Amino acid sequence: MKSRTLAFALAFLSLASLQAVLLGHHSASMFDNTKVMEISGTIKEFQWTNPHVWIQVNVQSAAGVKEWSIEGGGPNTLSRQGWRPTTFKPGDTVSFRINPMRDGTPAGLFVGAKFSDAKTLGRWEAQP
Amino acid sequence: MKPKTFLPGILLLPLLAFAQRGAAPALPDWSGVWQMVGPTVFDTSTVEPPNGRAGDPGVRERPPYNAEWEAKYQKNIDAIRRGVMPDPVNTCGTPHGFPRVMNLPDVYEFAVRPEQVWIIGENGPNILRIYTDGRAHPAPEDMWPTYTGDSVGKWEGDTLVFDTVSSKGFRDEDVIVDRTGLVLSEKLHVVTRMRKIDDTTIEAQMVLEDPVALKSPWRVTKRYRRQPAGTRVYDYSCAENNRNPVTATGKTLTLGSDGKPIDKVVD
Repeated sequence: MKSRTLAFALAFLSLASLQAVLLGHHSASMFDNTKVMEISGTIKEFQWTNPHVWIQVNVQSAAGVKEWSIEGGGPNTLSRQGWRPTTFKPGDTVSFRINPMRDGTPAGLFVGAKFSDAKTLGRWEAQP
Repeated sequence: MKPKTFLPGILLLPLLAFAQRGAAPALPDWSGVWQMVGPTVFDTSTVEPPNGRAGDPGVRERPPYNAEWEAKYQKNIDAIRRGVMPDPVNTCGTPHGFPRVMNLPDVYEFAVRPEQVWIIGENGPNILRIYTDGRAHPAPEDMWPTYTGDSVGKWEGDTLVFDTVSSKGFRDEDVIVDRTGLVLSEKLHVVTRMRKIDDTTIEAQMVLEDPVALKSPWRVTKRYRRQPAGTRVYDYSCAENNRNPVTATGKTLTLGSDGKPIDKVVD
Protein backbone atom coordinates (compact mmCIF):
# COMPACT_ATOMS: atom_id res chain seq x y z
CA MET A 1 0.00 0.00 0.00
CA LYS A 2 2.81 2.31 0.98
CA SER A 3 4.65 1.68 -2.27
CA ARG A 4 1.44 2.29 -4.24
CA THR A 5 1.06 5.63 -2.51
CA LEU A 6 4.68 6.43 -3.31
CA ALA A 7 4.22 5.40 -6.93
CA PHE A 8 1.17 7.62 -7.17
CA ALA A 9 3.05 10.53 -5.60
CA LEU A 10 5.95 10.08 -8.03
CA ALA A 11 3.59 9.88 -11.00
CA PHE A 12 1.84 13.01 -9.75
CA LEU A 13 5.09 14.90 -9.29
CA SER A 14 6.44 13.87 -12.68
CA LEU A 15 3.20 15.07 -14.27
CA ALA A 16 3.44 18.31 -12.32
CA SER A 17 7.00 18.78 -13.45
CA LEU A 18 5.86 18.92 -17.08
CA GLN A 19 3.85 22.03 -16.41
CA ALA A 20 5.50 25.30 -17.25
CA VAL A 21 5.31 28.07 -14.69
CA LEU A 22 2.27 30.19 -15.38
CA LEU A 23 2.01 33.73 -14.18
CA GLY A 24 -1.71 34.18 -13.65
CA HIS A 25 -1.46 37.73 -12.50
CA HIS A 26 0.86 39.87 -14.60
CA SER A 27 2.83 40.15 -17.79
CA ALA A 28 5.98 38.01 -17.78
CA SER A 29 7.69 40.17 -20.39
CA MET A 30 10.54 41.08 -18.01
CA PHE A 31 11.76 37.47 -18.12
CA ASP A 32 13.54 36.02 -21.17
CA ASN A 33 11.80 32.68 -21.70
CA THR A 34 14.19 31.77 -24.53
CA LYS A 35 17.03 31.48 -21.98
CA VAL A 36 17.52 29.16 -19.02
CA MET A 37 20.35 29.95 -16.59
CA GLU A 38 21.48 28.08 -13.50
CA ILE A 39 22.32 29.57 -10.11
CA SER A 40 23.18 27.89 -6.79
CA GLY A 41 22.92 29.38 -3.36
CA THR A 42 21.48 29.37 0.12
CA ILE A 43 17.78 29.97 0.75
CA LYS A 44 17.29 33.26 2.60
CA GLU A 45 13.49 33.30 2.56
CA PHE A 46 10.57 31.54 0.85
CA GLN A 47 7.57 33.82 0.47
CA TRP A 48 4.55 31.48 0.19
CA THR A 49 2.19 34.25 -0.89
CA ASN A 50 -0.37 35.32 -3.47
CA PRO A 51 -0.40 36.27 -6.22
CA HIS A 52 2.99 34.58 -6.67
CA VAL A 53 5.53 32.78 -4.52
CA TRP A 54 9.06 34.21 -4.30
CA ILE A 55 12.29 32.45 -3.37
CA GLN A 56 15.08 34.69 -2.05
CA VAL A 57 18.47 33.08 -2.59
CA ASN A 58 21.92 34.27 -1.49
CA VAL A 59 24.42 33.44 -4.22
CA GLN A 60 28.16 33.52 -3.43
CA SER A 61 30.64 34.62 -6.07
CA ALA A 62 34.17 36.07 -6.14
CA ALA A 63 32.58 39.51 -5.85
CA GLY A 64 30.72 38.60 -2.66
CA VAL A 65 27.17 37.51 -1.82
CA LYS A 66 24.32 38.69 -4.03
CA GLU A 67 20.61 38.15 -3.28
CA TRP A 68 18.53 36.77 -6.15
CA SER A 69 14.71 36.91 -6.36
CA ILE A 70 13.03 33.95 -8.08
CA GLU A 71 9.35 34.27 -8.92
CA GLY A 72 7.11 31.20 -9.15
CA GLY A 73 3.44 30.53 -9.88
CA GLY A 74 0.62 31.06 -7.40
CA PRO A 75 0.61 29.05 -4.16
CA ASN A 76 -2.86 27.59 -4.85
CA THR A 77 -1.95 25.77 -8.07
CA LEU A 78 1.58 25.00 -6.82
CA SER A 79 0.13 23.34 -3.71
CA ARG A 80 -1.93 21.06 -5.97
CA GLN A 81 1.33 20.19 -7.77
CA GLY A 82 2.97 19.10 -4.52
CA TRP A 83 4.65 22.33 -3.34
CA ARG A 84 4.35 23.30 0.35
CA PRO A 85 5.33 26.37 2.41
CA THR A 86 8.25 24.24 3.68
CA THR A 87 9.52 23.25 0.21
CA PHE A 88 12.41 25.74 0.48
CA LYS A 89 13.78 26.12 4.03
CA PRO A 90 16.09 28.98 5.05
CA GLY A 91 19.67 27.73 5.07
CA ASP A 92 19.07 24.96 2.47
CA THR A 93 21.52 24.82 -0.42
CA VAL A 94 19.59 24.61 -3.69
CA SER A 95 20.40 24.95 -7.39
CA PHE A 96 17.84 26.71 -9.59
CA ARG A 97 17.17 26.95 -13.29
CA ILE A 98 15.43 30.20 -14.18
CA ASN A 99 14.36 32.38 -17.10
CA PRO A 100 16.51 35.40 -16.25
CA MET A 101 15.47 39.05 -16.28
CA ARG A 102 16.09 40.57 -19.72
CA ASP A 103 18.00 43.49 -18.19
CA GLY A 104 20.47 41.29 -16.31
CA THR A 105 19.33 42.18 -12.81
CA PRO A 106 19.49 39.35 -10.22
CA ALA A 107 16.02 37.89 -10.62
CA GLY A 108 14.24 35.31 -12.73
CA LEU A 109 11.22 33.10 -13.31
CA PHE A 110 11.33 29.63 -11.72
CA VAL A 111 11.93 26.75 -14.15
CA GLY A 112 13.28 24.00 -11.89
CA ALA A 113 15.21 23.28 -8.69
CA LYS A 114 17.65 20.61 -7.54
CA PHE A 115 18.06 20.03 -3.80
CA SER A 116 21.23 18.85 -2.01
CA ASP A 117 19.81 15.29 -1.85
CA ALA A 118 19.55 15.35 -5.70
CA LYS A 119 15.72 15.48 -5.68
CA THR A 120 14.37 17.86 -8.29
CA LEU A 121 11.27 20.03 -8.67
CA GLY A 122 9.72 21.56 -11.78
CA ARG A 123 11.43 21.29 -15.16
CA TRP A 124 14.96 20.52 -14.03
CA GLU A 125 15.66 18.67 -17.28
CA ALA A 126 15.13 21.84 -19.33
CA GLN A 127 18.55 22.50 -20.85
CA PRO A 128 20.42 25.67 -19.87
CA MET B 1 -61.45 4.08 4.35
CA LYS B 2 -62.85 1.92 1.55
CA PRO B 3 -60.45 -0.79 0.44
CA LYS B 4 -60.90 0.25 -3.25
CA THR B 5 -59.45 3.72 -2.69
CA PHE B 6 -56.61 2.53 -0.50
CA LEU B 7 -53.20 2.81 -2.08
CA PRO B 8 -50.25 1.59 -0.07
CA GLY B 9 -47.78 4.40 0.65
CA ILE B 10 -45.00 2.57 -1.16
CA LEU B 11 -46.94 2.87 -4.44
CA LEU B 12 -47.42 6.60 -3.89
CA LEU B 13 -43.71 7.35 -3.54
CA PRO B 14 -42.84 7.10 -7.26
CA LEU B 15 -45.88 9.23 -8.07
CA LEU B 16 -44.73 11.88 -5.61
CA ALA B 17 -41.21 11.81 -7.03
CA PHE B 18 -42.63 12.19 -10.56
CA ALA B 19 -44.76 15.12 -9.42
CA GLN B 20 -41.70 16.80 -7.90
CA ARG B 21 -39.68 16.32 -11.07
CA GLY B 22 -42.50 17.85 -13.02
CA ALA B 23 -42.45 20.91 -10.78
CA ALA B 24 -38.68 21.43 -10.89
CA PRO B 25 -36.63 19.45 -13.41
CA ALA B 26 -33.58 17.77 -11.93
CA LEU B 27 -30.49 19.89 -12.48
CA PRO B 28 -27.19 18.33 -13.54
CA ASP B 29 -24.51 17.64 -10.96
CA TRP B 30 -21.63 20.06 -11.61
CA SER B 31 -20.24 19.72 -8.08
CA GLY B 32 -16.53 19.34 -7.46
CA VAL B 33 -13.51 21.36 -8.53
CA TRP B 34 -12.69 21.99 -12.19
CA GLN B 35 -9.75 23.36 -14.15
CA MET B 36 -9.83 24.89 -17.60
CA VAL B 37 -8.19 22.66 -20.22
CA GLY B 38 -5.23 24.25 -22.01
CA PRO B 39 -3.43 27.55 -21.65
CA THR B 40 -5.14 30.90 -20.93
CA VAL B 41 -5.44 31.57 -24.67
CA PHE B 42 -9.10 32.44 -25.27
CA ASP B 43 -9.42 30.85 -28.73
CA THR B 44 -6.90 28.01 -28.86
CA SER B 45 -8.30 26.91 -32.26
CA THR B 46 -6.87 30.00 -34.01
CA VAL B 47 -3.80 30.80 -31.91
CA GLU B 48 -0.57 31.47 -33.81
CA PRO B 49 1.91 29.83 -33.36
CA PRO B 50 -0.24 26.74 -32.65
CA ASN B 51 1.05 26.19 -29.09
CA GLY B 52 1.61 29.87 -28.36
CA ARG B 53 1.12 31.09 -24.80
CA ALA B 54 -0.77 34.27 -24.01
CA GLY B 55 1.69 37.02 -23.13
CA ASP B 56 4.62 35.71 -25.15
CA PRO B 57 5.74 38.22 -27.80
CA GLY B 58 4.05 37.75 -31.19
CA VAL B 59 1.38 35.28 -30.06
CA ARG B 60 -2.07 36.07 -31.48
CA GLU B 61 -5.47 34.66 -32.35
CA ARG B 62 -7.69 35.27 -35.39
CA PRO B 63 -11.05 36.65 -34.30
CA PRO B 64 -13.18 37.94 -37.23
CA TYR B 65 -12.21 41.55 -36.43
CA ASN B 66 -13.09 44.46 -38.66
CA ALA B 67 -10.14 46.64 -39.73
CA GLU B 68 -10.55 49.14 -36.88
CA TRP B 69 -10.47 46.49 -34.14
CA GLU B 70 -7.76 44.44 -35.84
CA ALA B 71 -5.70 47.65 -35.57
CA LYS B 72 -6.51 47.92 -31.83
CA TYR B 73 -5.44 44.27 -31.35
CA GLN B 74 -2.27 44.86 -33.38
CA LYS B 75 -1.44 47.87 -31.20
CA ASN B 76 -1.67 45.67 -28.10
CA ILE B 77 0.41 42.92 -29.75
CA ASP B 78 3.11 45.53 -30.50
CA ALA B 79 2.95 46.82 -26.90
CA ILE B 80 3.47 43.25 -25.62
CA ARG B 81 6.56 42.98 -27.86
CA ARG B 82 7.90 46.20 -26.27
CA GLY B 83 7.05 45.01 -22.74
CA VAL B 84 4.59 47.84 -22.10
CA MET B 85 1.23 46.04 -22.22
CA PRO B 86 0.24 45.55 -18.59
CA ASP B 87 -2.44 43.06 -17.66
CA PRO B 88 -5.28 45.21 -16.23
CA VAL B 89 -5.82 42.68 -13.41
CA ASN B 90 -2.35 43.61 -12.16
CA THR B 91 -4.19 46.51 -10.50
CA CYS B 92 -5.34 44.43 -7.57
CA GLY B 93 -9.11 44.10 -7.31
CA THR B 94 -9.85 44.60 -11.02
CA PRO B 95 -12.19 41.79 -12.16
CA HIS B 96 -11.18 39.81 -15.25
CA GLY B 97 -14.57 40.58 -16.80
CA PHE B 98 -16.65 38.63 -19.31
CA PRO B 99 -15.74 36.60 -21.36
CA ARG B 100 -12.29 36.36 -19.73
CA VAL B 101 -13.94 34.93 -16.60
CA MET B 102 -14.37 31.75 -18.70
CA ASN B 103 -10.60 31.71 -19.40
CA LEU B 104 -8.95 31.73 -15.96
CA PRO B 105 -5.94 29.89 -14.58
CA ASP B 106 -6.22 28.01 -11.24
CA VAL B 107 -9.56 26.24 -10.63
CA TYR B 108 -13.33 26.73 -10.89
CA GLU B 109 -16.45 25.75 -8.99
CA PHE B 110 -19.94 25.74 -10.53
CA ALA B 111 -22.77 26.30 -8.06
CA VAL B 112 -26.10 25.25 -9.58
CA ARG B 113 -29.47 26.21 -8.07
CA PRO B 114 -32.85 26.32 -9.84
CA GLU B 115 -32.94 30.12 -9.71
CA GLN B 116 -29.28 30.89 -10.40
CA VAL B 117 -25.91 29.51 -11.41
CA TRP B 118 -22.64 30.90 -10.06
CA ILE B 119 -19.37 30.37 -11.93
CA ILE B 120 -16.70 30.86 -9.27
CA GLY B 121 -13.10 31.33 -10.33
CA GLU B 122 -10.41 30.80 -7.69
CA ASN B 123 -8.13 33.19 -9.57
CA GLY B 124 -9.06 36.79 -8.99
CA PRO B 125 -11.31 35.67 -7.35
CA ASN B 126 -14.03 36.11 -9.97
CA ILE B 127 -17.75 35.39 -9.94
CA LEU B 128 -20.14 35.21 -12.90
CA ARG B 129 -23.80 35.25 -11.84
CA ILE B 130 -26.31 33.74 -14.26
CA TYR B 131 -29.98 34.29 -13.37
CA THR B 132 -32.18 31.33 -14.36
CA ASP B 133 -35.36 32.42 -12.55
CA GLY B 134 -37.04 33.61 -15.73
CA ARG B 135 -36.00 37.26 -15.55
CA ALA B 136 -34.88 39.18 -18.63
CA HIS B 137 -31.99 41.62 -18.97
CA PRO B 138 -32.75 45.01 -17.38
CA ALA B 139 -34.24 47.69 -19.63
CA PRO B 140 -31.53 49.68 -21.45
CA GLU B 141 -32.05 52.68 -19.17
CA ASP B 142 -31.55 50.44 -16.11
CA MET B 143 -28.35 48.83 -17.33
CA TRP B 144 -24.78 50.11 -17.58
CA PRO B 145 -21.63 48.30 -18.70
CA THR B 146 -19.88 46.36 -15.93
CA TYR B 147 -16.85 44.07 -16.02
CA THR B 148 -18.87 40.83 -16.13
CA GLY B 149 -22.02 42.26 -17.70
CA ASP B 150 -25.51 40.84 -17.20
CA SER B 151 -26.26 37.15 -17.73
CA VAL B 152 -29.69 35.51 -17.87
CA GLY B 153 -30.29 31.92 -18.84
CA LYS B 154 -32.43 28.81 -18.83
CA TRP B 155 -31.99 25.07 -18.77
CA GLU B 156 -32.62 23.09 -21.97
CA GLY B 157 -32.45 19.58 -20.49
CA ASP B 158 -28.91 19.20 -19.16
CA THR B 159 -27.64 22.28 -21.03
CA LEU B 160 -27.39 25.72 -19.43
CA VAL B 161 -28.03 28.32 -22.14
CA PHE B 162 -27.20 31.86 -21.09
CA ASP B 163 -27.14 35.23 -22.73
CA THR B 164 -24.63 37.91 -21.69
CA VAL B 165 -24.72 41.62 -22.55
CA SER B 166 -23.48 44.90 -21.08
CA SER B 167 -19.91 43.81 -20.35
CA LYS B 168 -17.52 46.73 -20.20
CA GLY B 169 -15.24 45.78 -23.08
CA PHE B 170 -12.17 47.86 -23.92
CA ARG B 171 -13.94 51.21 -23.40
CA ASP B 172 -11.73 52.26 -20.49
CA GLU B 173 -8.82 50.09 -21.67
CA ASP B 174 -9.01 48.05 -18.46
CA VAL B 175 -10.56 44.83 -19.78
CA ILE B 176 -8.75 42.42 -22.09
CA VAL B 177 -9.98 38.96 -23.10
CA ASP B 178 -6.58 37.34 -22.71
CA ARG B 179 -2.96 38.29 -22.41
CA THR B 180 -2.34 38.23 -26.17
CA GLY B 181 -4.09 41.63 -26.01
CA LEU B 182 -7.51 40.52 -27.35
CA VAL B 183 -10.21 43.15 -26.86
CA LEU B 184 -13.95 43.44 -27.53
CA SER B 185 -16.45 46.30 -27.30
CA GLU B 186 -19.20 47.02 -24.79
CA LYS B 187 -21.72 46.01 -27.51
CA LEU B 188 -20.62 42.38 -27.16
CA HIS B 189 -23.48 39.86 -27.01
CA VAL B 190 -22.63 36.26 -26.17
CA VAL B 191 -24.80 33.15 -26.11
CA THR B 192 -23.12 30.36 -24.14
CA ARG B 193 -24.28 26.72 -24.14
CA MET B 194 -22.75 24.86 -21.21
CA ARG B 195 -23.08 21.14 -20.61
CA LYS B 196 -21.32 18.24 -18.90
CA ILE B 197 -20.24 16.18 -21.91
CA ASP B 198 -18.87 13.31 -19.80
CA ASP B 199 -18.30 12.66 -16.11
CA THR B 200 -15.05 14.62 -16.01
CA THR B 201 -15.65 17.36 -18.61
CA ILE B 202 -17.86 20.44 -18.75
CA GLU B 203 -17.92 22.24 -22.09
CA ALA B 204 -18.93 25.85 -22.80
CA GLN B 205 -19.70 26.66 -26.45
CA MET B 206 -19.77 30.42 -26.89
CA VAL B 207 -21.03 32.42 -29.86
CA LEU B 208 -19.75 35.99 -29.66
CA GLU B 209 -21.40 38.76 -31.66
CA ASP B 210 -19.99 42.27 -31.51
CA PRO B 211 -21.36 44.70 -34.13
CA VAL B 212 -18.64 47.22 -33.23
CA ALA B 213 -15.58 44.93 -33.33
CA LEU B 214 -16.46 41.77 -35.30
CA LYS B 215 -17.47 41.19 -38.92
CA SER B 216 -19.20 37.89 -38.14
CA PRO B 217 -20.03 35.67 -35.14
CA TRP B 218 -16.98 34.22 -33.40
CA ARG B 219 -17.36 30.67 -32.05
CA VAL B 220 -15.12 29.70 -29.14
CA THR B 221 -15.25 26.51 -27.06
CA LYS B 222 -13.78 26.19 -23.58
CA ARG B 223 -13.53 22.95 -21.60
CA TYR B 224 -13.10 22.33 -17.89
CA ARG B 225 -11.77 19.09 -16.41
CA ARG B 226 -12.83 17.68 -13.03
CA GLN B 227 -10.02 17.64 -10.46
CA PRO B 228 -9.40 14.71 -8.08
CA ALA B 229 -12.01 14.23 -5.33
CA GLY B 230 -11.11 16.18 -2.22
CA THR B 231 -9.30 18.97 -4.11
CA ARG B 232 -9.43 22.19 -2.10
CA VAL B 233 -9.87 25.74 -3.34
CA TYR B 234 -7.89 28.49 -1.63
CA ASP B 235 -7.88 32.24 -1.08
CA TYR B 236 -6.45 34.38 -3.83
CA SER B 237 -5.29 37.82 -2.82
CA CYS B 238 -3.55 39.93 -5.42
CA ALA B 239 -2.71 42.51 -2.74
CA GLU B 240 -1.01 40.07 -0.36
CA ASN B 241 2.47 40.35 -1.87
CA ASN B 242 2.29 42.00 -5.28
CA ARG B 243 5.91 42.44 -6.29
CA ASN B 244 5.02 43.34 -9.88
CA PRO B 245 3.38 46.78 -9.87
CA VAL B 246 2.83 48.69 -13.13
CA THR B 247 4.28 52.14 -13.86
CA ALA B 248 2.35 55.02 -15.40
CA THR B 249 3.79 54.13 -18.82
CA GLY B 250 2.65 50.50 -18.58
CA LYS B 251 5.90 48.79 -17.66
CA THR B 252 5.54 45.89 -15.20
CA LEU B 253 8.23 46.24 -12.54
CA THR B 254 9.92 43.58 -10.41
CA LEU B 255 10.44 44.45 -6.75
CA GLY B 256 13.20 43.02 -4.59
CA SER B 257 12.50 41.61 -1.12
CA ASP B 258 13.05 45.14 0.24
CA GLY B 259 10.08 46.41 -1.81
CA LYS B 260 12.26 48.53 -4.14
CA PRO B 261 12.35 47.98 -7.94
CA ILE B 262 15.30 45.91 -9.08
CA ASP B 263 14.78 46.79 -12.77
CA LYS B 264 17.71 48.68 -14.34
CA VAL B 265 15.30 51.09 -16.01
CA VAL B 266 12.18 51.86 -14.02
CA ASP B 267 10.30 53.91 -16.62
